[in-house]
Amino acid sequence: MSEKRRFQTSLKQYYDLLRRYLLPQRKTLIGLTILLLMTIALQLVNPQIIRYFIDHAQSGGAMTSLIYAALVFIGFSLFHQLISVIATYVSENVGWRTTNTMRSDLASHVLSLDMSFHKEHTSGAIIERVDGDVNALANFFSSFIIHLAGNLLLMIGIIVLLFRENWMIGLAMTIFVLGALYLIQWIRKFAVPVWAEWRQVNAEMYGFLGEQLEGTEDIRANGAAGFVMNRFFRLIHRMLPIRVRAFLGFAAMWNTTILVFALGNAMAFGISAYLYTSGSITLGTVYLIFHYTELLSKPIEKIRTQFEDLQKADASIVRIRELFETKSRIVDGPGAKLPDGPLSLTFDEVGFGYEEDKRTLKQLSFQLKPGEVLGLLGRTGSGKSTIARLLMRFYDPQEGSVELGGVDIRLCKLGELRKKVALVTQNIEIVQGNVRDNLTFYDRSVPDERMVEVLRELGLGRWYDTLPSGLDTPLDSGGGSLSAGEAQLLAFARVFLTDPGLVILDEASSRLDPYTEHYIERAVSRLLEERTCIMIAHRLNTVQRADRILILEDGELIEDGERQQLAADPNSRFSRMLATGMEEVLA
Amino acid sequence: MKTSTFLWRLIRYEPGRYSLNALMWTLISLAPVIPGLLTKEFFDFLDGQASLGIGIGGLIALLVGAALARVMLIFMGFITDVHYRFRMGMLLRRNLLEHILKEPGARAIPVSPGEAISHFRDDVDQTEEAVSWSVDVLGMLVFAGVSAYILLRIDAQITMLVFLPLVVVVTAAQLATSRLQRYRAASREATSQVTGAISEMFGNVQAIQVAGAEARVIERFRNLSDRRRKTMLKDRLMTEALDSVFSNTVHIGTGLILLLAAYKMRAGTFSIGDFALFVYYLNFVTQFITNVGRFLTYFKQMEVALRRLTSLLQGAPAWVLTLFKPLYLGKRETPPARAGAGVGQGKSTPSGSGEQVARSAGEFGSASGQQARRTTEAADQAEAGSPAAIATGMRGARQAEPEPLSHSAEGSQTELGPLRQLTATGLTYRYPETGRGIENISLELERGSFTVITGMVGAGKTTLVRAVLGLLPLEAGEIRWNGVLVEDPGSFFMPPRSAYASQVPRLYSDTLNNNIMLGEEDVGGRLQAAVHTAVLERDIGQLEQGLQTTIGPRGVKLSGGQAQRTAAARMLARQAELYVFDDVSSALDVETERQLWERLFRERREATCLVVSHRRVALSHASHIIVMKDGFIESQGTAEALLQQSELFRQIWQGDAHEG
Repeated sequence: MSEKRRFQTSLKQYYDLLRRYLLPQRKTLIGLTILLLMTIALQLVNPQIIRYFIDHAQSGGAMTSLIYAALVFIGFSLFHQLISVIATYVSENVGWRTTNTMRSDLASHVLSLDMSFHKEHTSGAIIERVDGDVNALANFFSSFIIHLAGNLLLMIGIIVLLFRENWMIGLAMTIFVLGALYLIQWIRKFAVPVWAEWRQVNAEMYGFLGEQLEGTEDIRANGAAGFVMNRFFRLIHRMLPIRVRAFLGFAAMWNTTILVFALGNAMAFGISAYLYTSGSITLGTVYLIFHYTELLSKPIEKIRTQFEDLQKADASIVRIRELFETKSRIVDGPGAKLPDGPLSLTFDEVGFGYEEDKRTLKQLSFQLKPGEVLGLLGRTGSGKSTIARLLMRFYDPQEGSVELGGVDIRLCKLGELRKKVALVTQNIEIVQGNVRDNLTFYDRSVPDERMVEVLRELGLGRWYDTLPSGLDTPLDSGGGSLSAGEAQLLAFARVFLTDPGLVILDEASSRLDPYTEHYIERAVSRLLEERTCIMIAHRLNTVQRADRILILEDGELIEDGERQQLAADPNSRFSRMLATGMEEVLA
Repeated sequence: MKTSTFLWRLIRYEPGRYSLNALMWTLISLAPVIPGLLTKEFFDFLDGQASLGIGIGGLIALLVGAALARVMLIFMGFITDVHYRFRMGMLLRRNLLEHILKEPGARAIPVSPGEAISHFRDDVDQTEEAVSWSVDVLGMLVFAGVSAYILLRIDAQITMLVFLPLVVVVTAAQLATSRLQRYRAASREATSQVTGAISEMFGNVQAIQVAGAEARVIERFRNLSDRRRKTMLKDRLMTEALDSVFSNTVHIGTGLILLLAAYKMRAGTFSIGDFALFVYYLNFVTQFITNVGRFLTYFKQMEVALRRLTSLLQGAPAWVLTLFKPLYLGKRETPPARAGAGVGQGKSTPSGSGEQVARSAGEFGSASGQQARRTTEAADQAEAGSPAAIATGMRGARQAEPEPLSHSAEGSQTELGPLRQLTATGLTYRYPETGRGIENISLELERGSFTVITGMVGAGKTTLVRAVLGLLPLEAGEIRWNGVLVEDPGSFFMPPRSAYASQVPRLYSDTLNNNIMLGEEDVGGRLQAAVHTAVLERDIGQLEQGLQTTIGPRGVKLSGGQAQRTAAARMLARQAELYVFDDVSSALDVETERQLWERLFRERREATCLVVSHRRVALSHASHIIVMKDGFIESQGTAEALLQQSELFRQIWQGDAHEG
């Protein structure tokens, strides 16, 4: 909970953000400034009309000029209203444009982070950051600078006009304004940390809800609804006091302005009463002073709400910066090219652990010739999948190196690497969208016929034929009406639509029944033609087509050899494993 | 439910707090009356018409005093407000979550989890605002009354002409807000698509990275964001235009006073002090009208929120949202370990919570009288043509069939006794998106039997077990436990009757221990036994903190096989009479799988098992095998018999022989 620390968001951070996201909008901003200047002028003029009116009425001026004054007052008011609606619209637009850019930048940054980040953060919590926190910034972008500048100008305008009436009242009001701003700024210090805390606990809430909403089936059928509700209650129990404190922070800010204005009014009353009785101003001017003092509440109030937004933004900016500054442990390479065609593979003394002091892979070395098919066997947790993750560069090894086609993969661009290496896992990853999106991840260049062909090849033809609108049929995220086996076939199909030099099948057929597995064998053989392949399995039938077998245990190689040789050698682990399989059949 | 009924029920949840809050905010609204009068007195004093003989110094002291009083009121008002609105918002979230957890688990929400979160967040917030602002209506009325009395006594004509336009404004604005709703709905929709996209992006990071699809995914996200911008702008423009009408009234009003008072002021019958007072009150009248307008806007938006929240209930009546349930927010209050366990849970415990259960079940029962209406509603929605609407339409139609009231079932279902025989007849469920599923499936499980469902990918195996467990809403068919009809399989098939391990286990960012036990108490070494049977003991031994290890969001820190065995342990720890597990060994290595099955066979004792698998070890152990194909039962019987009869079964059997 680093948010708990008191952050002094430096001006530079704001400046960086403004330059990066607002500068491209400068034309709109100029237009907006003009609109705002007009509203300021209108607001300054109106009290003068009232003074004119009062003084003329008191001295018994002509009726028609009084009527005109009243009409001009109404006209100006209407005009002012129109302009402010337009200004809001424009600034809202700026806000959305800038935050949308920021949102995509942030999303694309987070998307590029390595898996160790994603293992620590729920998608619910990321929504809170990418959407919630950025939303809190929307106002900051759309209007903070302009409103701040505009209201400062309005304030200065009022003070100048007050000085024109009398230096004493001008001076008093200047002191008042400065004091008010200082006080309001000061009180803000107390509300910021609580606000950050509230957002944090809120993010936790939606992270929690997200997980529950994904797992309804398991909760329901195992009678865990009560447990989930209990967690919910404990969470809101913790949330309430934080929310109360956050609200009191707001109340403190609002109350400060109320008190400050009462004092300002009292001061204006005192001074203008003195000036009036000494005969240096008219009653109309007293009203003018009173009106301007009231009018001052607007800019000060606006500045207060701007700071309030800033206070929300403050917490959000800190968190967004943190996110932006979270560097992926995986540094993109300078861009070495991988050769076309099947790739050779070298693991050279690779040592790797998910945690610093625990090695999942221990000085692992092996090589694979282009086009070779490797069967990688081992118990759960022996490090098989880790090899796949290193090859995709989800992680980098702490020691040693991984080479593809003779190139250290850390020298390649990630995009290039992941284009050349395809991975199918047993995870079901279906995204919201239609079948086409799920096959190509929004790549429009893949022709439909090719997709349908692949689906048929993989035995999904019958499924495809039931789809009411073919490739355009929407799929639920998380699978929905797709069975787990079908989802896995769909993941297979994704690889068929690309042209990798190395294919890694990590338990890729674990959810398939033997019949289906058998059915797609021909298609898989075609896929593996002219490609290097690693088949990770803990089932033996999966590795039948392998040329070579590697067996891992606790991150170390305990057997390595040609499949046929190993099978023929009665002392090999592999042949013993084959024997266990036989036992199983006999049982 | 009408929006106003919704609002009213939310108010009635905490009537004490609501009233207190309303009182505080009425006082706060009333507070500006005093500084207004003091301002009038000030100008009258200067003009030589003072009515109070307290002088400038006294006036100033009173002014500051009034401000201090107002500040105190506001502090208290904020406290009452936050306490009330927090409870109310959380009640909605609570009821929503609880209801979702009672829905057929495999189709508990009609949208993606990301979208559902936006309902939980934004729609509830929206409602919270509306209810919170409703107190301002009262405050505004009281202030209007008091200030009208004061102003009328000064000048009736001008007062009427100032207040009248304001009434017109409110009416006009209220008429205009109906237009607002449409924009609001569109912008909410666009928002939930954006949050849905984010949730998905980060739920499938690995797949996206593997496919190198980052740029394309972001591009799609960008388009969705831009759509949201456009809808938001429309929404905002409308709101702002309305708001500005409200807030500009003060200027127009001042202008009108000037116009009307010109003659009277010149004649000296309307003093500067009167003018100052009129304008001062006008300011606040406008502010309050803005607040009331804001309330009306929120209220209109609440209608949208209510509709969206109701759609999340999938056909259940909206008042489910506002059931008065405890939140356990008191200082020394702690929620019961299995708090609000819901209908299913309560049955096994006849004590306190059971009573509450019976009550809420009774309420459900009384609602079934309204079923006919609910059905027509669903049919209306179905006409609208969206797939989700059609789905609810189907549900509605199903619910309209005569079925025993659930509360009358309450008593009888507890006395069904230990499982002797489970029969399902004519089970039918088709996924609304594709029309596939299972059709007219019947099966029978005897106590202690071991039944295996097998078949090809997409044959309907998972659908069948989900249908039996009530995780999908049946279209047709019935399930009998010892010959007695199970009315609501979803809340019936739970521990201690049954436990389930799904094909794709869902784990939470919590400790391994909590993921397995899910709140269940570890009596008699259940946990150890479950861990052992699920062959997890070695993995746990390797973890530094053992069972207390936090396994990351969705359990990502575990390997696929570990996750699957955790789910198996979760099921086994429930000690149920019926275990249902769906392809639980798919991600296991041969050795581990062999151990798992061996231990299961040995330790299940009398428990009945319904298993989806195509492993020969399971098939050869089965007392009965069901071979599924395209949603039908292709054949069934023992392994020997099927090897003779079924070509499909032979292929599955032989397919697995590649093992060796």
